[in-house]
Amino acid sequence: MIDWINNAIAGLSAQEQFALFGLLKILVAVFAIVLPLVAYSVVAERRISAWIQDRVGPNRVGIPFTNVRVWGLGQPLADGVKVLLKEDFTPAHVRTAYFWLAPMVAMVPALLTLAVIPFGSVLGAQPMVMADLNVGILYTFGITSLSVYGIVLAGYASNSKYPLLGGIRASAQMISYEIAMGLSVIPVFLLVGDLNLGQVIAYQAGGAWLVFKQPLAFAIFLIAAFAETNRLPFDMAESESELVGGYHTEYSSMKFALFFLGEYAAMVAVSAMMVVLFFGGWTLPVAGLNQPATSLGVGVLQIAVFLAKVIVLMAVFIWVRWMLPRFRYDQLMQLGWKRLVPLALANIVATAAVLFWQSTKS
Amino acid sequence: MIEGVAFYILSTVAVLGALLAVSRRNLVHGVFALLLFFAALSGLFVMLMADYVAAVQVLVYVGAVGILQLFAIMLTEHVTGDDLRRLGARGWFWGLMLAVALPVVLLLPPLLNGEPPVPPAAPQSTARQLGSQLMEHYVVPLEVLALLLTGALIGAVAVAHGPEKDPPGKDRPA
Repeated sequence: MIDWINNAIAGLSAQEQFALFGLLKILVAVFAIVLPLVAYSVVAERRISAWIQDRVGPNRVGIPFTNVRVWGLGQPLADGVKVLLKEDFTPAHVRTAYFWLAPMVAMVPALLTLAVIPFGSVLGAQPMVMADLNVGILYTFGITSLSVYGIVLAGYASNSKYPLLGGIRASAQMISYEIAMGLSVIPVFLLVGDLNLGQVIAYQAGGAWLVFKQPLAFAIFLIAAFAETNRLPFDMAESESELVGGYHTEYSSMKFALFFLGEYAAMVAVSAMMVVLFFGGWTLPVAGLNQPATSLGVGVLQIAVFLAKVIVLMAVFIWVRWMLPRFRYDQLMQLGWKRLVPLALANIVATAAVLFWQSTKS
Repeated sequence: MIEGVAFYILSTVAVLGALLAVSRRNLVHGVFALLLFFAALSGLFVMLMADYVAAVQVLVYVGAVGILQLFAIMLTEHVTGDDLRRLGARGWFWGLMLAVALPVVLLLPPLLNGEPPVPPAAPQSTARQLGSQLMEHYVVPLEVLALLLTGALIGAVAVAHGPEKDPPGKDRPA
């Protein structure tokens, strides 16, 4: 069987191989890994919030048409059927074209970001990254900066006051924290000396993880990540208690669900970025997992290591959401511009100075 | 073959986006059309193998400039952009002249030499080369540019701040 596959692959040209494996990686990564991860992070959010608030949470839905309950793990299926069957109501006063466009724009950037994330070393002869760009990190920041359009478009398209206010807030918030986020990773690249994400992982495999070398950069990145994904304590764009539902007030059914899934997909994307930049990606400094895999089993194991790290960071996102209250808008801006941006700038100067001193010493 | 198709699709989108951006009466729609243009332009940079410029185009223009424009429009009284007043655009003749003249001027030297210019081979890592070029050969222009932008920023704050108000405590009539 394996021989037959190998022979079939060897018969293809390099371009055909690239197209075939590229397609396979996209299909498997999106439909077998990211979308289930998104669906189950919704369940995790509900279970963890219930646990924090001393409730039970959804624990009933199991395998459909049987009486088997597996700790409520069938919940995403039930949720999915529910949002698909709900009435898709479009209010009369909305701008229809933008109203339809907004949920798609909210979902797509989060999935696009994952294209440059190296989620494993190699499987057979195939590198486990969809697009190995030389400017990987710039690409991720560029695409992440597009995710705000989903929210702003929704606010504008709804043509009513609460969504519009949510959209305006989101735009100001995301520009502010994008600057802090972008500045916070510059020391990482000063150390690594390359913009390619694969090189960042290789650098960390050779020494300590960058979270230990650049704890300040990681702290700023983490805070900015909460703001970029519109999660509590920075969910100004939604803030149920003052803006009803913010940008998605007028949305229902699957369109609302797309915003919801977009938020979780953005969490997956930003967690994956943090794993690559600060937590050594698919490497683990035990049992030779720091080296690119030589067998299929090790390759799969390294993908599992990567996913495990992503899941831990997702749990942190959920944990923080249920622990902290929402910031006030002026506090949010104050923190972003007067604390995080100067700190990030100071971190760049300090890192550059240390690197310069080291280069003159040797 | 496939590159030709991609080029014509991207160019068509870019030209359409630019035309819509200047012709739409609704400001918000105009900004979205401009974003379309920026995105198509970034695609054209990718086709020129300029990966760094393409990524920066998305990051700065599509990501930041567009959202700043939307934010600025939404902060004014014409929040929704539905404003039918517009400036009279009488410069179309000179605009057209400029649009025709620019390619002629750019293409004049190779036409006079009688041979089309050969594009240099695309470098492998454009980010590194750009960085060293900026820091070694173009330091002075870079600094002047930075100074100019800082000046513009301070000027914008000064304009937005308006004339000096009365000192605090005196602003409320007794």
